[in-house]
Amino acid sequence: MSKSYFDETHTAIGHPKSTFMQWMLTVDHKRIGIMYAAVMFTFFFVAVATAFLMRLELFAPGAQYIDGDTFNQAFTLHGVIMIFLFIVPGIPAVLGNIVMPLMIGAKDVSFPRLNWFTFWLYILGCIIALASLFTDAGFADTGWTFYAPYSLTTSTNVIFTLVAAFVLGMASILTGLNFLVTIHRLRAPGMTFFKMPLFVWGIYATAWIQLLATPVVGITLILAIMEKYFGIGIFDPSKGGDPVLFEHLFWIYSHPAVYLMILPAFGIMSEIIPTFSRREIFGYRTIALSSASIAGIGYLVWGHHLYTSGMADIAKTIFSFLTFFVAIPTGIKFYDWIATMYKGKIVLSTPMLWALGTIITFTIGGLTGVTIAMIGVDIHLQDTYYTVAHFHYAMLGGVVFLFFAGLHYWFPLITGKMYNETHAKIAFYLQFVGFNLLWFPMFIAGYYGMPRRYFDYLPEFQIYHQISFVGAVIFITGLTYMFVVFFKGWRSGKPSGTNPWNATTLEWHMPSSPPPLENHSKVPYVDFNPYEYHHGEPVVKFDYETMKRID
Amino acid sequence: MSHEYIPEIATSRDGTKYEVQGWQDDFYGGKLGFWLFMFTEVLMFGAMFMVLAYYNTLHPHEFLEASASLNRLLGGINTVILLVSALTMGLSLLKMRVGDVKGAKLMIYATMLLALAFLVIKGFEWRAEYNHGIFLMHGEMLPESGMAFGKKLFFGMYFTMTGIHGFHIIIGIGLMIWLLKRINAGKVSPEHHILHWNIALYWDIVHLIWVFVFPYYYMIGAGGVTGGH
Amino acid sequence: MGTNNTTIDYKKERSAYYKVLIGLLLLTAVTFIQPHLFMTESTFVAQMAIAVVKAWLIIMYYMHLKGDSLIGVMGIFSLVIVATFFIIVIGFDVANFQYGAESHITGPASAGVEHATPVHH
Repeated sequence: MSKSYFDETHTAIGHPKSTFMQWMLTVDHKRIGIMYAAVMFTFFFVAVATAFLMRLELFAPGAQYIDGDTFNQAFTLHGVIMIFLFIVPGIPAVLGNIVMPLMIGAKDVSFPRLNWFTFWLYILGCIIALASLFTDAGFADTGWTFYAPYSLTTSTNVIFTLVAAFVLGMASILTGLNFLVTIHRLRAPGMTFFKMPLFVWGIYATAWIQLLATPVVGITLILAIMEKYFGIGIFDPSKGGDPVLFEHLFWIYSHPAVYLMILPAFGIMSEIIPTFSRREIFGYRTIALSSASIAGIGYLVWGHHLYTSGMADIAKTIFSFLTFFVAIPTGIKFYDWIATMYKGKIVLSTPMLWALGTIITFTIGGLTGVTIAMIGVDIHLQDTYYTVAHFHYAMLGGVVFLFFAGLHYWFPLITGKMYNETHAKIAFYLQFVGFNLLWFPMFIAGYYGMPRRYFDYLPEFQIYHQISFVGAVIFITGLTYMFVVFFKGWRSGKPSGTNPWNATTLEWHMPSSPPPLENHSKVPYVDFNPYEYHHGEPVVKFDYETMKRID
Repeated sequence: MSHEYIPEIATSRDGTKYEVQGWQDDFYGGKLGFWLFMFTEVLMFGAMFMVLAYYNTLHPHEFLEASASLNRLLGGINTVILLVSALTMGLSLLKMRVGDVKGAKLMIYATMLLALAFLVIKGFEWRAEYNHGIFLMHGEMLPESGMAFGKKLFFGMYFTMTGIHGFHIIIGIGLMIWLLKRINAGKVSPEHHILHWNIALYWDIVHLIWVFVFPYYYMIGAGGVTGGH
Repeated sequence: MGTNNTTIDYKKERSAYYKVLIGLLLLTAVTFIQPHLFMTESTFVAQMAIAVVKAWLIIMYYMHLKGDSLIGVMGIFSLVIVATFFIIVIGFDVANFQYGAESHITGPASAGVEHATPVHH
């Protein structure tokens, strides 16, 4: 039995003997990715529970379980955890860390000790964020967007969350930095940029957003702290400050942030579709370049969050035009994926089910985004349940669904085992049905005027809330079910072998399963494209001891 | 991370051998990583300049008046101090690269001294401003004072940006102390000086930020209150 | 970590450092003279232009970026992003501030202070 990365590891400091300290001090990208996953999904379930509490309260009009102030804290907590603790680190922290270096033939990331430090910085950020739950002032009630002037005047504990978001932002920046240098420097000989798998392209484009957009929100948070505690005036109208400036600064990061979320997810889609269609991806170059252009154009559209805030009309018009424009590269990707499936031999394993489901849900999310890119329509739908449904279809039905797809796809790589396929499929269908029941009625409710972040509502909206609640129950059941499937698979699943999906990219050409500490036995020379199939079979074959091609 | 790292060799199908770049011993990678970090500083200070420009646009005359009231002599002295310190830091790196470790350390000490001088002068400036009733949460900067909006905002950002810049100088001094320790421990040497390279780069960016902070705050009102449009 | 394996011409590099120093000191002097000597109606533009020249010298020579096209391109990309934020927010939004008449924060001249009511924090 050869050793895997679970049996031995490199550490940042010293040579610890205990397994616990070996995990705490590990610099191995694969273990770090697993630890990120463990922490992130724990907080994910806390945020899901918070959301369920809100759905429960909103089942009927009026106050039943919590009061209005607590409700405000609940949606703030939900947003802060989901955005800053879960989805922004998200796919890069877990799958980017574990899989990306394997895909380029590297032995680790460029700065493994920085990777270790970044993980613990993330943990610090999580602790600070949640510490305010236990203070007298209580968790912030401003919404995760911290808009001035309310965030300046509220007596709830905003500063903890602001500091936490700053620390978490630093972790995001350092991850992006690490990945950028890794992808530039550590690709296997022969692997040019246009021979990289598309997941790596996704991580690369994401890393540019992590690096350059996050500092803007970092300084915005600092400026908000300076305003609240040192009265510098820039967001305080009593000194001439303009709250719209806060919104500009905040969304200059937070809009690119959503591309930071979706680009790795699209990268996962680009890996799963060719594998389960048994053919080369259609339009490799356009997908790669569309990732880059989404990262670039995504910096230009933030103003569509400010349509109703008092921006100049000319600015609104420019943002509307640019927002429509940014939908184009995404559309290109969708057409390329569907073209890949055309005349392919479709294999409906669980990862493919998730991918196909996402094509449906993200299309809805994306198209509804385009509708509210229109200024006139947005005047009516801004801050209603329509917006809430839109971004949950895009973020949950896009990013998170593809995250789940990626977890199912790379599960055998990470654990060396296979989960139960039938149960995994049931979990998918429960979540897919529950998701749509939960969120689709909100489009209608929002259109009829149900405002977001509202603790109470008029009786005519009750039916939508009730359907959503039923959807929430089904969805959360499916969610929990899926994690049970994962745990059981890891504990007692069948050994999967090194390439259970018969895929082409380098992470499936490890010498043993789970992979050894130092990844490939030798770094291969890459003179092939990432998705070469011939009649449904991979073209490139390796001898796993020498990593020389034998096809 | 020992210094005896031996890179792997990958062989193509026609027998050509290629050296594999590992994460160890990657000087260019270390340089690239630090440059990327510096781009984040550009974005951070860039956003602050944008806040300044925002209120400048709304209150052009008040900004010129507030700028004119800053101490250009002290600001100018600090500009020259930082300029010379960038030279000393650069020379320290150059000396390290050619093997003059003692000379390199001397230059680092010189840089630290100049950095401290910068901070002391800044302290004098702030104290003078405080005595004029202009400081955070003090005197003219309170909401109920009679000072115009444009001036309050100018000074709010003035203290914020020079404060954060000063904080970066303090960090720079700390980094230089650490660098000296690593040199004394033999971990930074003419053969392995990426840390020195990057700390010199850090000092250059601290200087670079001041190159823009100084004129925007101190000089725009220098020609009198017209000073422009 | 490793070294860059080029041989170093100490005298040449040292003289480059000093030349740039003189250049920067001269430009600093120009900074002080400019408001009284030239472009006096557009001091802001002149000052920023001088700053850009200084920055270019520092980046190219002190920071050794001359000849490094990869990092250079990345730097330009970052600067373009910052410039875009400026162009949109300053050039298009606040420059066309359309509520100036009613807005509290743009009260007539410096009289905004008359409308200032103490805000409780």
